[in-house]
Amino acid sequence: MKIILHIIKKEFLQFKRDPKMLVMVIFAPVIQLIFLGYAATFDVNIVHTAVFDMDRSSGSRAFVEQFEKSGYFSIDYYIHDYEELNTLVNHAKVIVGIVIPRNFEKDMYSGKKPVVQAIFDGSDGNTASIAAGYVQSIFTSYAGEIMQEMISNKGQFVLPAGTLEPETRVWYNPELKTRKFMVPGIVGLLLMLITLILTSLAIVKEKEIGTFEQLIVTPIKPYQLIIGKLVPFTIVGLLATVVVLTAMQVIFNIPVRGSTSFLFVATTIYVLSLLGLGLFVSTISKTQQQAMMLAIFAIMLPMVYLSGFAFPIENMPKSIQYVTYLIPLRYFITIIRGIILKGIGFSQLWVETTVLLLMGIAILLLSSLRFKRKLD
Amino acid sequence: MYSIEVKNLTKKFGAFTSVNDVSFAVKKGEIFGFLGANGAGKSTTIKMLCGILEPTSGDALVGGHSIVSAPDKVKLNIGYMSQRFSLYDDLAVGENIDFFGGVYGLEGATFKERKNWVLEISNLKGKEKLLTGSLPGGVKQRLALGTAVIHRPSIVFLDEPTSGVDPLSRRNFWELIHELSSGGTTVFVTTHYLEEAEFCNNIILINAGKLIAEGDSKTLKSKYLDGSIYEIECSDPVKAMEILNHSKYINDTSIFGNKIHISVSKNFSDENLLRTDLQSQNIRIESIAPITPTLEDVFIHLLEKGA
Amino acid sequence: MFSRTRAVAKKEVKQLLRDKRMLFVIFFFPVFLLGVFGYAVNFDVKHIQLGLRDLSRSPESREIVRTLTASEYFDYKMDFTTDDEIRNALDKKLVQCIIVIPEDLTEKLNTRGGKAKLQVLIDGVDGNTATIIMNYIKAASGSLDREFKEKILTRLGISIQMPLGIEPIFWFNPDLKSTWFLIPGLIAMILIVTAVVSVSLTLVREKERGTIEQINVSSINTIELLIGKSLPYIIIALINAAFIILAGYMLFGLVVKGSFVLLFFSTLIFIIASVSMGIFVSVVADSQQVAFTIATFLSLLPSVILSGFIFPIDSMPWAVQIITNVTPAKFFLQALRAIILRGAGLPAFWIQLVYLSMFIIVFLGLATIINRRKSAI
Repeated sequence: MKIILHIIKKEFLQFKRDPKMLVMVIFAPVIQLIFLGYAATFDVNIVHTAVFDMDRSSGSRAFVEQFEKSGYFSIDYYIHDYEELNTLVNHAKVIVGIVIPRNFEKDMYSGKKPVVQAIFDGSDGNTASIAAGYVQSIFTSYAGEIMQEMISNKGQFVLPAGTLEPETRVWYNPELKTRKFMVPGIVGLLLMLITLILTSLAIVKEKEIGTFEQLIVTPIKPYQLIIGKLVPFTIVGLLATVVVLTAMQVIFNIPVRGSTSFLFVATTIYVLSLLGLGLFVSTISKTQQQAMMLAIFAIMLPMVYLSGFAFPIENMPKSIQYVTYLIPLRYFITIIRGIILKGIGFSQLWVETTVLLLMGIAILLLSSLRFKRKLD
Repeated sequence: MYSIEVKNLTKKFGAFTSVNDVSFAVKKGEIFGFLGANGAGKSTTIKMLCGILEPTSGDALVGGHSIVSAPDKVKLNIGYMSQRFSLYDDLAVGENIDFFGGVYGLEGATFKERKNWVLEISNLKGKEKLLTGSLPGGVKQRLALGTAVIHRPSIVFLDEPTSGVDPLSRRNFWELIHELSSGGTTVFVTTHYLEEAEFCNNIILINAGKLIAEGDSKTLKSKYLDGSIYEIECSDPVKAMEILNHSKYINDTSIFGNKIHISVSKNFSDENLLRTDLQSQNIRIESIAPITPTLEDVFIHLLEKGA
Repeated sequence: MFSRTRAVAKKEVKQLLRDKRMLFVIFFFPVFLLGVFGYAVNFDVKHIQLGLRDLSRSPESREIVRTLTASEYFDYKMDFTTDDEIRNALDKKLVQCIIVIPEDLTEKLNTRGGKAKLQVLIDGVDGNTATIIMNYIKAASGSLDREFKEKILTRLGISIQMPLGIEPIFWFNPDLKSTWFLIPGLIAMILIVTAVVSVSLTLVREKERGTIEQINVSSINTIELLIGKSLPYIIIALINAAFIILAGYMLFGLVVKGSFVLLFFSTLIFIIASVSMGIFVSVVADSQQVAFTIATFLSLLPSVILSGFIFPIDSMPWAVQIITNVTPAKFFLQALRAIILRGAGLPAFWIQLVYLSMFIIVFLGLATIINRRKSAI
């Protein structure tokens, strides 16, 4: 027991002597949180558009106006041939080109059903489909208006039939602010970065500078060294957690709907499992460089992509979905989004919380076993 | 009685054999020198004896415990000072002592007393707040030694403790080692400074993983050198060596600075033969004289014999 | 000049080759990760778990259900009878979308001006998916509405038709497979992270080991040193890039529509820019740990979030849009997409290449100045 205390004291003394690291580890995440939190949005707010109007009638102009009025479309170019559209799309200057055929107005009112082309830059599938959705809405409401006009001109008034209308209610995130969804995920990512950076180098550094030899010659037992190294990092990790969670609430105005204390406990468990992972990497690497590359490629990158942070796990092939069960961040994201956005608590999240806890314990045990008091 | 008994210790790294079937024994309270060139296998051997490196085959009893089956027990009785002095550069002097003392379970009055001792022998009393990384080599070295034996182990392993340290500090350091030894501690030292071997009670010479000689300084010199050593100072040492190498009565030659040492066969004692041989090739001789052989002479002789 | 640079480069290569684990990590992981992530990352929302509460139980309601579940977009999951069940299911994410069909569906559909309200509840936690689900539903109910109207009106003997049609055409990616769009982003991210992190350690390691003094004492000057150190990593990154693009083709059918020469050239400039960033970090950091921290923070998340990889830059607040210029990945991505997905020529992205070159000059320049000041070479 006392030995562990001595190790903890040594680690803190070493922290004290390298304040640069400490400052970076606590403040860099906050700064990153700010940039990334504001950047992470799927909302397509502005669709750069080109219009190729071959009709130039009041009817076609009225149609084009619908796009402008919607607020989503920014008509940047009026073009005169397909070549121009080609260039604009190639240079990524517009996402969609609206092509209105000749005799548009005439054909429309005489029942000849003119077809308007909406040509999208399909390379960004996501944006293209969202933009296509907008176009479809505008088209549908415009078509409805014209139909109404034509019918009243013919002397009939309202269609003798009813309309099917979907009434959508979005739960948990009514304004569909991507930010509310992304920022908790970014919090999880940043915590991961910090803890991994700290711990993956923890033991390897001593190996590289040679103090490791000196350590393993003493009566220190493996579990004592691991706990002794973990405690200071846990404390630093928790400090970072508090700072980042506070920043999230204050800067992004994302209130925690559920229990704050449960959030804190869950985050602590998450941080512990990460510390375990980092330590494990540290025990299997011979040099700091190896530890870093391993940490980045085998842990950080998979966490970014496979945790459900930005890419929905439901969309992944089944085989990869199984792999995501191994990723601590996956569970943490469910927990933190649940608490913040849904306001649910332990009773609904007990599965994820328990899994995280078990993962943390398992990894720490594994690190203990790997760590022999031997060189090799 | 024996503090350390080594039996057929071998260590292979893949295809490379670093320590090759080495056996020897160290008496309690001895200063035991483990000599050899860099890469000869000294550090590897010491790490095995400390229980932090697993041997490929063979065993050793350190303080009565086997390094293969009971390395943890071995560690309880030993102190170790690694080649890089291995103190935490980013801790203060006092903090380093506190840490290692604490880790060895020292506390209370005993700890205070030992801490004082460490500070005294390294001349750092009152300077506990100094950053260890800022200390000059000689001071750090003594601090490292003190920290390594703070728990008064019965056996102490020192791996190249004097590397890169100035001669005066080296001398002081060896005085410390003597103090430890007279107190009953067995001291096992590796070094590639052959002149330091003179300070040891018993020596083994190791080369390319194999033990090539064993004994104390005097025994080594008399056992392995049958004839005397002459030192020659002349105008063209390199050419002189070439010439002398062809002589029947000369066993080996080596350069020492700008002088030559030659090892002559047992029955030889005629200096004038040497003079004529050299002068006939137009080499001017400044001096020729027999000298007391050094361990270096022994070592070179053994190496060349092996080759 | 060249012989000294070459000497530095050679040493770096030898050290790299000796470290088998590093070699494994550097060459294996990028391609492996591309394979895994390439399959994992996509925004194509399919098989949405759908919950139903059909209070109408009419031919029309059955038609609605059939239309929705017949497509690959919705998968019928379960029925609900109470509101509590619904809330529970959404909380636990058993379903992503719930449709409640009103009792008076048939009545309202056959009444002049009647509004049959279809209640749709969507799990909005994932805003992007929610929006997409909303769009599907809108489109589906739009076509269902037309279908119903046509049936009713035909029965009544009235003919009516849409006054105009719209034809959406998707260039370059007709199936709107998001994978193709995301893979260039993966390529950019993997390249920049590898380059920045591995290079950032090179100089720092020498500083920590003390071998840097040996170098400082030689007649080499700073530029030669920095270039010599960069060279091996540039070559490794190029090899990696080739493997990744090959993997992209073999695993995902991603074909490079444009010129390979331009692709090579742009990749080279990007790699050099990333390596310069790494060199800069290496000069600034005093310990490997600090280098690791800075390198990771500079390259990892920014290249994923700020580069336009996933989140459209146009939609970000303008202050953040300015910050996105901090990562070379942004410009490389624009060039990559132009070449790979659109087959565009140099005029489409030469500006991006110029920006990338500026990165090189700025980072290497800063590195040189700072290194000189620190070690007085």
